[in-house]
Amino acid sequence: MENLYGAHYYKLLSFKDNLEQKISRMEQTLEAFYGTNLIDHTMGRIKSEESVIEKCRKKNIEVTPDNVVANIRDIVGIRIVCTFVDDTFKVRDAIREFDNIKIIDEKDYISNAKPNGYRSYHMIVQNEEGYYAEIQIRTISMDTWAALEHDIKYKKDINVNKELITAELKRCADELASTDISMQTIRNMIYGQL
Amino acid sequence: MKILLAEDTKDLNHAVTVLLKHEGFEVDSAYDGQQAMDMIANNGYDAVIMDIMMPKVDGITVLSNMRQKHNMTPVMLLTAKSDIDDRVAGLDAGADDYLTKPFAMKELLARTRALVRRGSSDDPSDKLTYEGLILNGEDLSLSAENTVRLSLKEYELMREFMRNPGRDLATDYLLWKIWNNEQDADEDTVWLYVSYLKNKLRAVVTVVNIKGGKGGSFKLSDE
Repeated sequence: MENLYGAHYYKLLSFKDNLEQKISRMEQTLEAFYGTNLIDHTMGRIKSEESVIEKCRKKNIEVTPDNVVANIRDIVGIRIVCTFVDDTFKVRDAIREFDNIKIIDEKDYISNAKPNGYRSYHMIVQNEEGYYAEIQIRTISMDTWAALEHDIKYKKDINVNKELITAELKRCADELASTDISMQTIRNMIYGQL
Repeated sequence: MKILLAEDTKDLNHAVTVLLKHEGFEVDSAYDGQQAMDMIANNGYDAVIMDIMMPKVDGITVLSNMRQKHNMTPVMLLTAKSDIDDRVAGLDAGADDYLTKPFAMKELLARTRALVRRGSSDDPSDKLTYEGLILNGEDLSLSAENTVRLSLKEYELMREFMRNPGRDLATDYLLWKIWNNEQDADEDTVWLYVSYLKNKLRAVVTVVNIKGGKGGSFKLSDE
């Protein structure tokens, strides 16, 4: 890792830690405000060398520490997994209020799913030193779906009909999205918010 | 099965109502075209039997008005005239059948049964569309910008709304039509399922929504 990112590596690590701390504090604040925990779990990572090299090759970027840090915006990645759909947007709103963090870009794949059925909320953020991070917010069922989709995308030797798998995964994504909304609706009914 | 009978001759209206009720149909009666139009706007019917010559608004105008609003409920016209032009105008306006007065009650009943059958024979591959929203009976999917898959009950309820856009459907009517007046189903059930659909409409990103509150009437709207 230090070879690839050079002197940036420890800066990236501390940015990741800093974001995780901010999110942990946000989680406590939200829990105090809403009276229930909105976040099931959070995980952070630094992008692996092979993924970065692969991405540089695709984007036609020469692999130097400065190039990599300036052009690849998800080297620091944080994933926040929520229990209910509405919570993802509450978490997003709270992240927009973070001190010393600039929101560079947002993509709402929850309201507008990708054609394959992928759903998640993506935010690209930047700290004062200019380092980028990607924050993904999704529900447990969106996370389950993405895990399986990831396995299939990167498993080279699948001996089954790929079109069938793709279509079936899309069907599952649309069923899970539907169930997520039903669970949210039932929850709202229980709490007298319908 | 609920039928609207619009006929201004009181005796005939009464006689046909009694007969249809005896056959097990639920019947609402209207005595002029305006009343028929109001009742159609506020209820869901499985079939409409309607006289052409009626006070205030004639039957063909009521029918044209229904079809303009995408209300595809089967309609049988009754006409005193054996005038061919009258029948052609009725069929062109979207009537499914017509019957010339005087008619035998037996024939009226047989034609009513056929009419109701036609209305409820569902082609499962049917796609219903409304303002860019698509409800697909083949895979129970609801789509606009996004797609979600509905449960069977949600699909049946959504189909009822898509068939009656802009019309008020009462909770009691939905309990009868979608839940067959099941013991366990009540206004909470209807409200929960309507709420599922409200939220799923929002999730597929469409202007179409369902208006109305718990226990009342619900309406599919594009506003």
